Amino acid sequence: MRRATLLALQLLIGALACRTGATPAGSIRLVDDAGDTVAITRPARRVVSLVPATTELLFAIGAGPVLVGRTTWCDYPAAAAAVPDLGNGIGPNIEAVLGQHPDLVVLYRSAQNAAAAEQLRALGIPTVTLTVDRLADLDHVTTILGRLTGREHAADSVILATHRGIDSATATPAPVRPTVLVLVWDQPPMTVGAGSFLSELLERAGGRNLFGDLPSSSAQVSVEAVASRNPDLILTAADGMPAFATRPEWQVVRAVREHRFLHVSSSAFNRPSPRAGEAIRILAEKLREASR
Amino acid sequence: MILEARDLTVRYGGSSRPAVDGVTLSTDGGRLVAIVGPNGSGKTTLLRAMLGLLPLSSGSANVQGRPVAQWPRAELAKVIGVVPQTEERVFPLRVRESVMLGRYARLGALGRESTVDRQAVDEAMTRSDVLQFADRRVDTLSGGEWQRVRVARALAQEPAALVLDEPTASLDVRHEMEVFELIRHLVTGGLAGLIVTHHLNLAARYADRMIMLEEGRVAADGTPTEVLRQDVVARVFGWPVAVTTWCDGSPQVVPLRPGEAR
Amino acid sequence: MSGLRGVLLLGISAVVLVVGIGAGATSIPPAEVWSGLLHGSAPSSAIVRELRLPRVLLAFMVGGSLGISGTALQALVRNPLADPYLLGISGGAGLGAVLVIASGGGGAWGVPLAAFAGALLALALVYRLSIVGERRLDPRVLLLAGVVVGAFSGALMSAIIVLSDVAQLRNAFLWLLGGFGGASWKTLDIFLAYAALPAGILLLSGRALDLLALGEEPAQYLGANIERTKRVVYLTTGLLTAAGVASCGIIGFVGLVVPHAARRLWGPLHRTLLPVVFVLSGCFLVLADTVARTVVRPVELPVGVVTALIGVPLFALLLRRSLA
Repeated sequence: MRRATLLALQLLIGALACRTGATPAGSIRLVDDAGDTVAITRPARRVVSLVPATTELLFAIGAGPVLVGRTTWCDYPAAAAAVPDLGNGIGPNIEAVLGQHPDLVVLYRSAQNAAAAEQLRALGIPTVTLTVDRLADLDHVTTILGRLTGREHAADSVILATHRGIDSATATPAPVRPTVLVLVWDQPPMTVGAGSFLSELLERAGGRNLFGDLPSSSAQVSVEAVASRNPDLILTAADGMPAFATRPEWQVVRAVREHRFLHVSSSAFNRPSPRAGEAIRILAEKLREASR
Repeated sequence: MILEARDLTVRYGGSSRPAVDGVTLSTDGGRLVAIVGPNGSGKTTLLRAMLGLLPLSSGSANVQGRPVAQWPRAELAKVIGVVPQTEERVFPLRVRESVMLGRYARLGALGRESTVDRQAVDEAMTRSDVLQFADRRVDTLSGGEWQRVRVARALAQEPAALVLDEPTASLDVRHEMEVFELIRHLVTGGLAGLIVTHHLNLAARYADRMIMLEEGRVAADGTPTEVLRQDVVARVFGWPVAVTTWCDGSPQVVPLRPGEAR
Repeated sequence: MSGLRGVLLLGISAVVLVVGIGAGATSIPPAEVWSGLLHGSAPSSAIVRELRLPRVLLAFMVGGSLGISGTALQALVRNPLADPYLLGISGGAGLGAVLVIASGGGGAWGVPLAAFAGALLALALVYRLSIVGERRLDPRVLLLAGVVVGAFSGALMSAIIVLSDVAQLRNAFLWLLGGFGGASWKTLDIFLAYAALPAGILLLSGRALDLLALGEEPAQYLGANIERTKRVVYLTTGLLTAAGVASCGIIGFVGLVVPHAARRLWGPLHRTLLPVVFVLSGCFLVLADTVARTVVRPVELPVGVVTALIGVPLFALLLRRSLA
């Protein structure tokens, strides 16, 4: 009897709310990074996350159990392996996504995914498009994910913890900061500019990005530019002596001649995440070691 | 005999009849031989076989007594100047440069052009009456002028024989006559001449001997008067004709309209 | 007249080389550049001697080789639209490069080696396809075979890219777009080792090419051994282009536009055209490379992009002039 009254009351309020256009209690409405409005009636219970960063964040805020789909590149935490792999996050396989009957899909914001987002929305599936490129994106992305899964408190905690981790790991500026060439690829030489997350980590760890004056997130540069800027250290993707170090044209760079190479491997360096603080700490340690 | 074919037969793999079947002909200095016949009768194939571009199925093709297959191409080019039916002008040279290509057989790929070569080129252009075009690009010439340039190129080879395949196709009357006059003049001057032409009447007036092909075989062979007989021409070309005689004694073929009598 | 032309070409080359050595991703004053060339020991000297000088020389040699290859192939197929990559070489090289990168590297020299091998394989395949009965290297068949092999390689490349790590292969494309970033005295030596002989042979083949351009029948009647000429052109241009691709990726338009321009200015006689094309395309590529590494420095553009950006308007201009 009581239950029925409660239900009737809720329906009445809901009906009233619909007539007045206000957000009914219990439903969630927000604007995502692409400027689209996302509205769901209750916290998502079947989430497909097509961004490695958001997969990690969802687990961090305790929403791991509601994940029903991820990309092949979602490699953290280990529990993510149990979530079904649906392929690429950019230009996703819509059919595979639909097969999981999600009530929320999280997409990475890119030109290619705009079409996918429209397609999913046209099929009635709430889709949220997010930018997760830099540290500054973490706060609002975590908040959005928290609201959409009904875990606002957990989200706030994660944000706080992440900030604490980053702040404590951020090195006090040393008198001499080593200049570091971040070499993503050698033929042709590809580096990262100020717009990249890795560059951010490097600056906070006490180093200086050799090409920090470039605003873009990645750029192709000439060996000559590297040689004349003369980095102290070179950060590469591979462990040990990188293959390009034997090529004659790189011998003009002092750091190559003296084998001053750095290497970091975890995925915490690829994308903003709650592990950012840890990543900064590791990098700072390596920088100190190499500068000795 | 500079150029000679004996019982020459060329058979393409897979076809029922030979393209050229047992043809015998020859030409020597001072003599102009014309090969005539309908389309597809094997005229061009016969030339190509006599000049070593096609293998013989049987019979022989000799140049200056030696089988043509034994002649290296460069050596052959010193003896026989050929003006083939078609040629590309994708990268048009100047007339002088074009005629100079005729010296390739004597210069080779690396030889430097000498006074001898330049003189030979000038003489060839003079004989062919194209000296006045020496610095013009060949794609600015008319059809007849271009033909004469090609003849000049063949002459620059300083050959003993001149072979032409349909040299007056698509030329107007004046240029046709100019080309035939030129050829006759050169042959009378000592070259051997072999010409494939569809122009029965001009061939009759200029050639010393004619040979008419029909489906690869020799249908008639001899002087123009002996070859251009009404019954032979009508049969081989599949059209009724009348044959009259021009004031120089040469037979002239006149195709009949339906309903006309001979 | 030809003396004057020779002096002019030498002058243009000298200017271009000076510009190429003097300009770069970093500003080095001319006095330092000069002292750098003469065994100076300032930090900038190493840049000038070990990076810029070999790079400019390599660009000149590769440009010249691509230019004469394009010219010779245009004569071979009697079509002014032929370019050095006609014979499926770009497809084969690209496939080789992509395979090596997708499979994990191959070391510092893996990509160039694989590109070279892929190019030669494509060359062999196109040759095999062009054998129709008794006839070899028939130009029309060559054109088609080149297109077919190129399309097939392209399809394979796409398949590999889809099935592999996307990030790595985007970098493969960057390499393929062409660049002299890997230039050093060693890469120059290697290129010359493969290219000197074929280039020399081609430069001396002018007269044979003039004959070939007339058509195979007329050429033979004039005394040319066209089977040998065709084979020589095929092998030398193939080797030159393969060596070029291995050194610096796929750089288009040099072998297409420069021969056109040179023919318009100097006439199509190959004996004189080939050396002129060599020098002009060498200069063209040095200039393009200089632009590529200075216009948005320290960022470097792929050279293939610059040659296209310069080459397309130039080509359009030439077309309009020749049709007018």
